[in-house]
Amino acid sequence: MTFRRFAFNNVIRNKRLYAAYFLSSMFTVMVFFTFAIFAFHEAISGNDMNSSVQQGMNIAGGIIYVFSFFFILYSMSSFLTTRKKELGLLMMQGMSVRQVRLMIFLENMVIGFFATLGGIILGLIFSKVILLIAENVLVLDDALNFYLPIQAIIVTFLSFILLFFIISLFVSYILRSRKLIDLIKGNKKSKGEPKANIFLTVSAVLLIGVGYAAALIVEGAVVIVAMLPVVVVVIIGTYLLFTQLSVYIIRKLKQNNNIFWWKTNMILFSDLSFRMKDNARTFFMVAIISTVAFSAIGTLFGFQTFLTEGLKNNNPHTFSYITVDQDKDDVAFINETIEQEQMEAKHKQTKLAHYEIGQDNIVITSETDFNRFAAFLGEDTIDIQTGEVKVVEFTGNEYGQTEELLKQKLNLNSGTSLIPKEVIYSRALPATDSYYVVSDQDFKELPAPISEESYHAWQVTKGQDNIIAASEKIEKVVPPYEFYAKDYSIYQLNKAYGLVLFVGLFIGIVFFVSAGSFLYFRLYADLEEDKQKFRSISKMGLTEKELKNVLTRQTAILFFTPILVALIHGAVALTALSHFFYYDLTKISLSVLGIFTLIQIIYFAIVRFFYTKQVKNVL
Amino acid sequence: MLEVNQVSKIYEGKIAYKALNNINLSVEEGEFVGIMGPSGSGKTTLLNMIATIDEPTTGEILINGKNPHQLKKEELAKFRRRELGFVFQDFNLLHTLTVEENIVLPLTLDGKKVKEMKQKAQEIAGKLGITSIMNKRTYEISGGQAQRAAVARAMIHVPKLLLADEPTGNLDSKSSKDVMEMLETINKHERTTMLLVTHDPQAASYCNRVIFIRDGNFYSEIHRGDNRQAFFQRIIDTLSLLGGDGHDLSQIRV
Repeated sequence: MTFRRFAFNNVIRNKRLYAAYFLSSMFTVMVFFTFAIFAFHEAISGNDMNSSVQQGMNIAGGIIYVFSFFFILYSMSSFLTTRKKELGLLMMQGMSVRQVRLMIFLENMVIGFFATLGGIILGLIFSKVILLIAENVLVLDDALNFYLPIQAIIVTFLSFILLFFIISLFVSYILRSRKLIDLIKGNKKSKGEPKANIFLTVSAVLLIGVGYAAALIVEGAVVIVAMLPVVVVVIIGTYLLFTQLSVYIIRKLKQNNNIFWWKTNMILFSDLSFRMKDNARTFFMVAIISTVAFSAIGTLFGFQTFLTEGLKNNNPHTFSYITVDQDKDDVAFINETIEQEQMEAKHKQTKLAHYEIGQDNIVITSETDFNRFAAFLGEDTIDIQTGEVKVVEFTGNEYGQTEELLKQKLNLNSGTSLIPKEVIYSRALPATDSYYVVSDQDFKELPAPISEESYHAWQVTKGQDNIIAASEKIEKVVPPYEFYAKDYSIYQLNKAYGLVLFVGLFIGIVFFVSAGSFLYFRLYADLEEDKQKFRSISKMGLTEKELKNVLTRQTAILFFTPILVALIHGAVALTALSHFFYYDLTKISLSVLGIFTLIQIIYFAIVRFFYTKQVKNVL
Repeated sequence: MLEVNQVSKIYEGKIAYKALNNINLSVEEGEFVGIMGPSGSGKTTLLNMIATIDEPTTGEILINGKNPHQLKKEELAKFRRRELGFVFQDFNLLHTLTVEENIVLPLTLDGKKVKEMKQKAQEIAGKLGITSIMNKRTYEISGGQAQRAAVARAMIHVPKLLLADEPTGNLDSKSSKDVMEMLETINKHERTTMLLVTHDPQAASYCNRVIFIRDGNFYSEIHRGDNRQAFFQRIIDTLSLLGGDGHDLSQIRV
C-alpha cells in the first residue's frame, strides 16, 4: 500500500464519514455550474443588447464563487474537527505533520475531483429542470434552449479544481499548532459552557432596535442614504444576538428549575447551551444569507409588480388611441387588424376638450361622456346636477394636482361660475392630470376649448390570445405616443425584465438552499455525540416519543431560529423598500416570505426524519 | 422477584452464534447476586435481557411475575425508567449536566415536581456521600465519585431491581471498594434486589451468591457464608476451575 493508495482508500472505504462533506461540496459545484450554464447561454451572452445583463451575470458568478469558497472551507474545517481523533491516532503511529497534511491534501483532492465531476453531471439535470420552470413561469419564449454547455463545463471544472487546490493548502493553516494530546482528546468535551457578556447582550437588543426603528421611520430617497448604516448596525446586532443574547436566554432558562427540570427540557437545553458557540456562527451566517435572499427576491418581484400594476392601473383598456390629428385613418387600421386577428372588441370614442383654467390646460368633460367610459370599465357612473362640478382624480395616481383644481373656478358663458367641491376617483378617462366633470347642460355653456383630442378605447372580448400579435402589427404602423396596448406593454416589460428576474431568483434560491445546507452540516456534526448520548439515556428508559420530541425540538431550533430572524429582517427591509417606492409591498413580501418559510418547513421535515432515523438506529 | 426460565439467545447472521443456552436463574427479593464468567461467556447478554435492552430468542424472563418483554416499546421504556436502575462501567453520565442534574434526570423525564426532585436528590446524595459535588460537572470529579453519582441516579426512583454491569471496571481498587461497600449497604438497608455482572472477584465477593457462566451455559453457583475473605477465595478457585484465560484473572487485587 503506497501512501497515495492509503489516502485514496481512506476516502473510498469510509464513505459515510466523508459523505456530508462530499455532498455539500458537490452541491456547491452544482449550484455554480447551473449558474454558469445560464451565464454562458447564447441567449444571454450572445447578443450585444444584453451586455448589462452579462455584466450582472459575471458579478453574480463571482459572488457565487467567493461564497462557494467560504462554504467549502467551512465544511472542510468542521469535517476535520470530527476527524481529530483519527488524525491524532495516525500521528501517534508516527506519521509526521507533513505526511498528515499530504494525506489530507490528497484526500481533499480526491473528494474535490469527484465532487466537481458529480456536481457537473447533477447540474446538467438540474439546469434542464430549472429551464423548464423558467420557460413556464417567466416570459422567456424559447430563447433558453437546453444545450450541452462545453464552455460552462470547462470553466466550472477548472475553477473548482483550483478552488479545492487552494482549500487543500489551507489545511496546513487549520491543522497548525495542534498538540497531539489535543487531537487525541479532540472528541472528548472539555470546553466550558459559553457565557454571555451583559454589556454585549444589551447592545444586541439596542443595535437591532435602533436599526429597525431607522429602517421603518425613513421614507422616500432617505431610504438609500440610511441603508448602509442600518445594514451595518443590524448585522453587528444580529451577530451579538446569536453569540450573546441567545446564550444569555438559555442560561436564564437553565437557571429556572421549573423549566429546565421539566421532562425532556433538561436533555434539550443542556446540549443547546454547549453547542451555542458553534451554532451562533452558523446561525449568523444563515440569517444574513437568508435575509439577502429574501430582500433580493422581494425587491425584484416587488419592483416588477410595482411596474406592471402601475401599467395595468393606468391603462384599463386593451388598446387606447389618442390623437390631435383628426384625419388620420389609424382607427380604421386598428379596427381592421382586430378583425384580421379574429378578435372581437368593443370600441368607444370621445373628444377630450382642453380649457385654459388658471395657468393650466385642463380637460373638462360632460357627465354623459364620463359615464359612458365609466360604464365601459364597469365602474360606478355618477350623477351631476346642473351647477355642480366635480374633480376627477385617476385612481391610484396621486400626481394629478387635484388640490390645485379644487382652488379654481369654472366660468360659464352664461356668466355664472362653478366652484368644485367634491373629488371623485375613477379610471374612466386616460390618466393625465386630474380633470373636471360637469353636467351636460353646463358643458354646453363652456367657452370654446383651446384644443381637442380624440380618444379611442378598445376592450377585447374575444380572441384574447391574439392580442400580442395584433399589437405588434399595429405598433409597426401607428406611432407609440398615440397608440397604447396594455397587454403588449406588460409582455414587453416581462420579457425585458424576465432575465433579470430569473437571475435574481436563481441567486436567491442558491443562497437560500446553501443556508439550508449550512444548517444540515451543523446538525450532522453533532450526530455522533447525539447517538452516544441517546444510547445511554435510552438504556435508563427514554420512550421513543420522548426521543422524537427532543430531536424534533432540537432540529426545529436549529432550522427556525436563524430563519425567523431572517424573516423579520427581510420584512423590515421590504417595508423600508415600500417606503422608498411609496408602493405597498405587503402582499408580495408576504408571499415571498411565506414561500421561503414553506420551503424551510419541508427542508426541516426531511432532515428531521433522517436525523431521527439515524439516532434511532443505534439504540 | 426475578425468574429467568430456559432462556436462550441466538445471534443471527451469516454464522448463527448461540450466546446463551437454556439459562435458568431465580433471584429472591432483597438478594445480591453476582454473575461471573470469562470474556464472551454471555454474562452481559444475560444482563441486557434482564435489563429489557435485548430480547431472548426463546424462554421467558419474569420480573415480579410480569414479563416485561411483552410490553409495547413505549411502555417498556417507562418500565425501565420506573422499575429498574442501571449502573454502567463507563458511568454514562451526561457531561453537559451537573452531578445533581444527572441524578434527577430519570425523575424529570417523568415530570416530577422540582421540589420533590431536589429533596430526593439531597437525600440520596447524603446517603452516598456526594453532597459536596452536587453542583460540579462530570469532568470535574473523580471516577469513584462519578460512579457513586451514577448509583445515585440509578437509585433515586427507588427501583425494585438494580442492574450493574462491571461497575468497578473503570475504577482503581480503593474506589472499587468504596462503590461495592456502598452497594452492599444499599442492598442491606433498602432491601433493593441487585444483579451484578463482573470480572472482578473482589467486587463479586460482596454478593450473597455468585453464578458462573461459561460459553453460554450455566456452570456453577456458590453462596457466601459469613466470611467475605473465604468467599473471595472460593470465587478465585471456581474461576481457575472455569479455565478462563490469564486475562480474566489479571484484575485480581487483594
